[in-house]
Amino acid sequence: MAGEVTPQGEGARSLHLRKLRVQWQIVTLQVLATLSLVWMYMEVVSTYVVGSIDHTQLFDTLESGLGTELPLGDWLTGGGNEGLARFYVPMGLGLGLGGAMALLAFQTPKFQQRVKLGFIIGLIAILAGRFVLGYAWQLVSDGWSAPGNNVLQLLEWPLLMMLSFIIMTFYLLPIITGTKGIWGLSRRGVAWSIGFTLLFLGVHAILTFPLIRSQLGSYGSQLTTLEIIVSEPTVFGLVTAQQFSLILIACLMMVFQESAFGVIRQLEYAYRLPESCKRDPEYVSQMDNLLNGHLRHTAIFLSLTVVATTIALGFHAVLLDWVNGITGSQWAAQVGESIELTLTYGLVISALLFLGIMALLRFIVPWQRFWGLIESSFTTRE
Amino acid sequence: MWTRKAAFTFTGGIALILIGMMISNHQMMILGLAFIAFIVVNSWVSGHGDVEVQRTLSADNLYKGDDLYVELLVTNRSRRKTQQLEVYDNVPHEMKLRSGLNQMRLNLKPGESARIRYVLRCPLRGHYSVGPVSLRYRNTFNLSVDEMYVDHHSDIIIFPQIRDVEEAFIRSRTAKMYTGATTLRTPGPGTEFYSLREYVPGDPFKNINWKAFARTGELMINEKCRDAVTDLYIILDSRDIARIGTVLKNPLEMGTVAAASLASFFIQRRDSVSLTIYDEKLSFLPPDTGDKQYFKILSSLAGVAPRGTMPLQAVTNSLAARFSRGSPVFIISSCEGDGTVPSAVRDLVGRGHEVTVLSPSSIDFERLVSRIPRMSYEVLKIERQNRLTSLAGFGSQVIDWMPDMDLSQALLQVRGY
Repeated sequence: MAGEVTPQGEGARSLHLRKLRVQWQIVTLQVLATLSLVWMYMEVVSTYVVGSIDHTQLFDTLESGLGTELPLGDWLTGGGNEGLARFYVPMGLGLGLGGAMALLAFQTPKFQQRVKLGFIIGLIAILAGRFVLGYAWQLVSDGWSAPGNNVLQLLEWPLLMMLSFIIMTFYLLPIITGTKGIWGLSRRGVAWSIGFTLLFLGVHAILTFPLIRSQLGSYGSQLTTLEIIVSEPTVFGLVTAQQFSLILIACLMMVFQESAFGVIRQLEYAYRLPESCKRDPEYVSQMDNLLNGHLRHTAIFLSLTVVATTIALGFHAVLLDWVNGITGSQWAAQVGESIELTLTYGLVISALLFLGIMALLRFIVPWQRFWGLIESSFTTRE
Repeated sequence: MWTRKAAFTFTGGIALILIGMMISNHQMMILGLAFIAFIVVNSWVSGHGDVEVQRTLSADNLYKGDDLYVELLVTNRSRRKTQQLEVYDNVPHEMKLRSGLNQMRLNLKPGESARIRYVLRCPLRGHYSVGPVSLRYRNTFNLSVDEMYVDHHSDIIIFPQIRDVEEAFIRSRTAKMYTGATTLRTPGPGTEFYSLREYVPGDPFKNINWKAFARTGELMINEKCRDAVTDLYIILDSRDIARIGTVLKNPLEMGTVAAASLASFFIQRRDSVSLTIYDEKLSFLPPDTGDKQYFKILSSLAGVAPRGTMPLQAVTNSLAARFSRGSPVFIISSCEGDGTVPSAVRDLVGRGHEVTVLSPSSIDFERLVSRIPRMSYEVLKIERQNRLTSLAGFGSQVIDWMPDMDLSQALLQVRGY
């Protein structure tokens, strides 16, 4: 139908990346992603690494093996501290390094090239600078000869320094790549961070498998195993604290992933819009709706995921209580004491049963209408 | 429908649970359970495409090359949010986006509306339909996708371009027998006296009535009755061969522009114009005048597509009896691949029609898309010249229309061979 068509309008706000990146929803999502990354890292580290295979222990082993002090100070590596405190400074460094890499990614290619070149030259200078000067002095004073021991010793400090940094970087890889991914809008960075964490969990799981662990001897006995089977459920009366810690790791990983990817996805969409649409108030207002929706869903759905997983893990106990209550027989109590139930099969089957029922409830309980009623009660119709 | 991500998450969850059970690792089992719980929780709420769509176009018909302004109003009539919805207005692929975008990602609250405004350039004539509107609901975490569409269409006709045609170079040899609704007593170029009027600077001196000047002392001008063309017949060749060249430049496109421009010019002069299009079948629009006829002609020309191999002789044989005696006939054809053109022209001239053949040079159009060796080109060109010369020999006026030549320029080149 032909009629009056007004051209696209222009508002005070626009969807240019420069403006969008400082919009509160985007910053909130990025901060949320960073917090969940740090929290997840701390949970993983406190559960599996601290006191077992952490970097300070590795440094101690190296120092005793080499018979020399490593160049990095304890204040930097967290050596001498107890528990999770060993990771506070390194984590700060990792966040700083990741942030710096993200910042560098937004500079001009020329500037990036200069920084990279400066870094490589600095690295070479630190590694070989003193050695080259020492050897040159030796050649001048003694004539042509192979480097002496005192000259070769000049290589020791830089090599140990590099080794220490490499070890620190290896431990902090999820934090560095994750931070770079969140603030540098890099999908690859986020994926690497999650990948490293999953890889670590996978390798740890294999190494702590009893058969393999026994083959590792004294090294195997150092690995932390989770003795969560026979503990009493303390969190909501459903799961143990350790189980809840594992649930948190899984859910924080999802919060980190979804927040970081959500930001990248929405910014990509805004970036691809034509210039006229970026200024169009209609697009701006819908972008607000999208970001608000994303924030809301991240908060609600991922909290519900924690709740659902927690209930699922404790569902076998609930089931047995019901059976016990309904039948009044001893069978439920006997089954409840079964190690098979609490160990794996019963637990997983009952958890999946719970999740299956919840999924099927969608077709029985009118969630959509219920949700719609709640939503429409909070919004006014035009 | 699940996305690849959801499928991977679910499969990964199951795999982690199974591996965790195999090696008695709770972290893996819990990670797997959390993945599945995430999918279950997300499946509880989904978006919808229950929206009302209203499209407004700046015009129902346009001329080729013009801009079409489109506004799509999307309103959420349901009592809950649409969630993340991608709205895509399907536009014909022949049209090009000039500004704005025909899609938007939105999340409408109950009763909320969003306007998508964009401008389309219409480089090709034809009958088009904008729509339907495609909707795609995407879960916030990209776990599920549902595609829907709203069957809402807006039709539009893109007419051929109208070019300026120089003042009448064609006149009927025979006076119009039945004037019908056309008023012929109007001032204009002609021979019969119409009235006297005062001289206006710019009037030719030869039209000054010196006797009246002597009598009144003021310069007076003789105004003439406009010589009316009886009926003008335009025959457009839309055979398959007329597609030679590029999409935008080919004999048929140039022919439609010429036919539309001539029709516009003569209808503005209040003459009657008839249009005949021949391709695989014959389409004849009887002569008439006025805006309605003009619209009919433009609509017919908008829908013309190259097809078929009907010879011109068949057209003239079936229609000659319906042509008014002595009326001018305009044949717009490349005259390629049709051996009956000379005889058809001869018949029309023989019946007393003033025949003008406007012939887009198909060889030169072919050169735009394919490389023709110089020698072959010269030979083909000579063959074409011979063909046109023979048409001129039958008493028609022949215009060899080159691709880079403007219509008015071509029409002024009417020459006798």
